Amino acid sequence: MFIHNFKYTFKTLLKNKALIFWSFAFPIILGTLFNMAFSNISNTEKLDVIDIAIVNNEEFKINTMYVDTFKSLSDKDNNDQLFNTKYVSIKKAKKLLEDDKIDGYMVIKDNKPNLVFNKNGINQTILKYVVEEIQSNKIIINNLTNIEIENQINNGNYNIDYNEISKNVINKINSDVNIIDKSNKNTDFMMIEFYTLIAMTCLYGGMISMTAINQNLANISNRGKRIEVAPTKKSTIILSSLCSSYLIQLMGLLLLFIYTIFVLNVCYGNNLLLIILLSLVGSLTGLSLGLSVGVLTKKGEGTKIGILLAITMIGSFLSGMMGVTLKYIIDKNIPILNKINPASMITDGFYSLYYYSNLDRYYFNIVSLLIVSSILIILSVIKLRRNKYDSI
Amino acid sequence: MKKVIEVKNLTKEYKKLKAVDDLSFDVYKGEILGLLGPNGSGKSTTINCLLSLLNFSNGSIKIFDCDMKPDAYDLKRKIGVVFQDVSVFNELNVIDNIDYFCGLYIKDKITRKKYVDEAIELVGLTDFKKFYPKQLSGGLLRRLNIACGIAHKPEIIFLDEPTVAVDPQSRNNILDGIKKLRDNGATILYTTHYMEEVEILCDRVIILDKGKILASGTTDELKKMASTSEKVSVEVNDLDNKKIDKIKTLKNVDEVTYKDGILLINYKKGKNNLVDIIEFLKQENINYNKIYSERPTLNDVFLELTGKELRD
Repeated sequence: MFIHNFKYTFKTLLKNKALIFWSFAFPIILGTLFNMAFSNISNTEKLDVIDIAIVNNEEFKINTMYVDTFKSLSDKDNNDQLFNTKYVSIKKAKKLLEDDKIDGYMVIKDNKPNLVFNKNGINQTILKYVVEEIQSNKIIINNLTNIEIENQINNGNYNIDYNEISKNVINKINSDVNIIDKSNKNTDFMMIEFYTLIAMTCLYGGMISMTAINQNLANISNRGKRIEVAPTKKSTIILSSLCSSYLIQLMGLLLLFIYTIFVLNVCYGNNLLLIILLSLVGSLTGLSLGLSVGVLTKKGEGTKIGILLAITMIGSFLSGMMGVTLKYIIDKNIPILNKINPASMITDGFYSLYYYSNLDRYYFNIVSLLIVSSILIILSVIKLRRNKYDSI
Repeated sequence: MKKVIEVKNLTKEYKKLKAVDDLSFDVYKGEILGLLGPNGSGKSTTINCLLSLLNFSNGSIKIFDCDMKPDAYDLKRKIGVVFQDVSVFNELNVIDNIDYFCGLYIKDKITRKKYVDEAIELVGLTDFKKFYPKQLSGGLLRRLNIACGIAHKPEIIFLDEPTVAVDPQSRNNILDGIKKLRDNGATILYTTHYMEEVEILCDRVIILDKGKILASGTTDELKKMASTSEKVSVEVNDLDNKKIDKIKTLKNVDEVTYKDGILLINYKKGKNNLVDIIEFLKQENINYNKIYSERPTLNDVFLELTGKELRD
């Protein structure tokens, strides 16, 4: 019965043109657009060095990460020079901007970087991105430093040198991944965007499983009525539908990897196998999410799609897919939210490959995703097992 | 006869509306029981409760002496259902659709193939095996819908208005197929609002309205409930009130109406009513075009019981 339902669910899903477009073609189109957009950034960068100014106030001088990063990015001996930076007073910076001699300037006030532009363009976007990256890295280093301090206090060491710990954290991170270099290379920035694309593809797999399970629900489709009156165990129906959906999802992912590697020439580096493993587990979670929204919500198909999209979009937004800073703000203020948010677990898994040398955090996310998937599948089976409707 | 379905005091409420109101009836092995009623009378709701798809407020349902529950898989194995709405996969062709639904009941591939072929033959879709549902006409689609519900050779078949919006040729094919299923030993619960189908097919009939049983019995027993035993219609021009009053005095006449050139005479009982009225028309030199006689229909019974037509 399992194979019978698996075979026909696979057949029906594969012939669903809209579903196949969103699962197979959409990520590829999005990946192509990313590639085109960031290739342009790369070309622009090679042709023009961006003229900027930094207000050389006391707050800037003590923010060593900003000082070092901009120094490196403005190094004329560096082939990858990005900025031509002038360190000036606020008055001078305003004048330079007015005279159109710079594309924008940055002033650090109350420990926050503020960017001032008089127009929008690719140069302004690059400066904004670099500043956001530095700020994100700063938050990561602060978080890691705080953790290290807590560890030392727990180990009975109360004689804490904050600066020393902070330096060690920076050295440790720099030995694993060079933060300054990362800000400097568009290929790395592009990698993050491709991680995001993969994570999004994993989560949108929920649409496949929801479509598959909706076919089996009496209150959604007429075929569902027929299936629900058949002598087939609901667990068999759910698991076989889930496996068919998973196969379709994996085909989509495989296509995406082949396309990004061989057509777009994206280099996933040494992490490719780990990225694939996380994608497999992330896809399972995405499918489980779609399954549970399909089963646990007694609403029409349109409403269910809306709910799934809302959960995915909000989850993705909170997890930092649309700007990494938000993820760390949530991590700091409402950590439980990221612990139960599947999107956050997937992106955190990818970021952990990017930021950390050891894989503890990566595997923690893998296990968390598996636990969430299991809970969602079990809840769905229990809900559907002896299901009767109030109306159909 | 052996009872295969036993329904006692079944009540289904949607908020304040009682869709099914204290319904009790039995279905016996090998019979076709018709549930006849207008749209919204509770026929489909009753079937969905019997199939354990819907929660119900009160009552009990036993099939083969066992309680019907969502996980009563042994009972479900013996049941086939043809729903009112076409319930097939648009992505699968005729043979795959039937094979899929049959496969939910029959594991053995060889047996399944035989059953699928037999179902295709029964509903007359042999020439359309590789067609997709969108390529089929409404009537052929209904036949596919039936084949998907009965391919696994169930002992009990629920047919919920299977001929709605079907052309006459397909309807005849479907009705013939249902008779064959009964002849092969299946017990059938058939819902419809077409009284002609009930008269052709059903051994017993339950007339439903507003979720309640109004009457039940064989079609002949139900027709006896009608006060009229014969209706005679005459197409006649220029009939004056004097002559209409004379007709009212004829033997067995219960009611006379004259409207738009049609004279309608209802007779309470008796024989030779048609001969008597023809004789009267000759004597009075009344010219007429057509004259015909009708026995009371189930619609007349329904009209008398509820004051409205079955298809209102």
